[in-house]
Amino acid sequence: MPDRTSNGMQCNEFDLLLSDALDGVLSGSGLDRFQAHARTCKTCGPLLEEAEAGRQWLKGLTEVEPPASLVPNILASTTGVDTQRLRTTVRAPQPRVSWWEHVQASFLEPTWALVRQPRFAMSFGMAFFALSVSLTMAGVNIHDVMSISLRPSAIRHAYYSTQAKVVRYVDNVRAVYTMQAALREIKRNMSPAEPGPAKQKEHKNDTTQQPEQKQERNYSQTGEKLILAGTPVGPSDFDRILDPSNPDLPVVSVTTDRRFV
Amino acid sequence: MEDVQVVAMLVRRCIAGDAAAWEEIVQGYNRRIYNICYRFAGSSDDAQDLTQEVFIKMYRTLSSYDPSKGAFVTWVTTITRNLLVDHFRKTKQDRMTDSMDTTASDHEDAQPLSEQIPDQSAPPDAQVRQREVSETVHQALGKLSPELREAVILRDLQDMDYKEIATALRVPEGTVKSRINRGRAELARLLQRTYRQVM
Repeated sequence: MPDRTSNGMQCNEFDLLLSDALDGVLSGSGLDRFQAHARTCKTCGPLLEEAEAGRQWLKGLTEVEPPASLVPNILASTTGVDTQRLRTTVRAPQPRVSWWEHVQASFLEPTWALVRQPRFAMSFGMAFFALSVSLTMAGVNIHDVMSISLRPSAIRHAYYSTQAKVVRYVDNVRAVYTMQAALREIKRNMSPAEPGPAKQKEHKNDTTQQPEQKQERNYSQTGEKLILAGTPVGPSDFDRILDPSNPDLPVVSVTTDRRFV
Repeated sequence: MEDVQVVAMLVRRCIAGDAAAWEEIVQGYNRRIYNICYRFAGSSDDAQDLTQEVFIKMYRTLSSYDPSKGAFVTWVTTITRNLLVDHFRKTKQDRMTDSMDTTASDHEDAQPLSEQIPDQSAPPDAQVRQREVSETVHQALGKLSPELREAVILRDLQDMDYKEIATALRVPEGTVKSRINRGRAELARLLQRTYRQVM
């Protein structure tokens, strides 16, 4: 706004007083000077008219009504609950409900409402289909399942037979068998050499063998001839036995004396 | 709007977690905030979103309100105004894109509102006529610059005094008066031009 002076008032001062003049709070000599400046100033005169007109237009604007959903939305977005609805619920007289009705209202009905949803039914159907296909592929027959005995002994038997099946299956797997053979080979190579025949000879005079020999003797008695099965034979005896021309091949008949108590 | 002590008590109860007190505040101020947002943003949908944002911000910052520094309504208006400025800045690019598709309305020879003025030859009902005028003024208000628009909205539509407006807008009182005068004058020019085109 140009800073011009007219009737002792500058345009800046007029601008500052314009609001007060329109509000009706300007009076006395200030109002006279203001009006005189408005009459003479080519800028401030029209400004006064336009500001007054604009003010009148704005006064004609009425307050708009907010949508009914605004307050519930605000409450839901701030406190997280619709407190108005909550309060209405609290104020309403509450009839006595049994525990079953309470369970129904708090658990069963929401669950049933969830189950009734088409997407849940679809998911359940898909899960059932996948389970039945998996069982069929695994060789499970529904009749076998129904004929299962639930007695403890039957369950125990089923457990042990299943375990045996699994062990047999694992043992017969080629990879396991090969691995076990390789392990045995490695163990054999790693273990120390077995004691030779000289060592066995040393055992010949070992008195610790005596009771064992006695016992074997007891189990090797025949009616006709006593054969000491545990008694080592000499090389000459082997030659005699292995000679095909020898007619007196010893026939070893072993009887076991059993003691009946 | 309300007694300072009553409002301060409400605020204290809200901070203490009283949901009923918060609902009372929402019930008491939603209309005012919605109207400010509606007149500034121009559309009901934007006004609803903005009003909701204002209350969310209020709810989060309620503990920062100091009754000794000013009235609650001034504090609320300041929050509203800040969010409106943010909204204006965010949607500035959209408005620039839109303006390229339409007539340059700020020019002297433009016809920004004439297309929205109904045919005056038909004898309108008084209520309908009033609604049309209100809509026209509302459209013209949207053509003002945001500084002038917020000043005239707070003064002429919300009846705030200059000091409260100066506090809310964080400008001197003289600037507030100047903006109000210029806003009113600009609005009158826009409307006169519009009706001259129609007549």
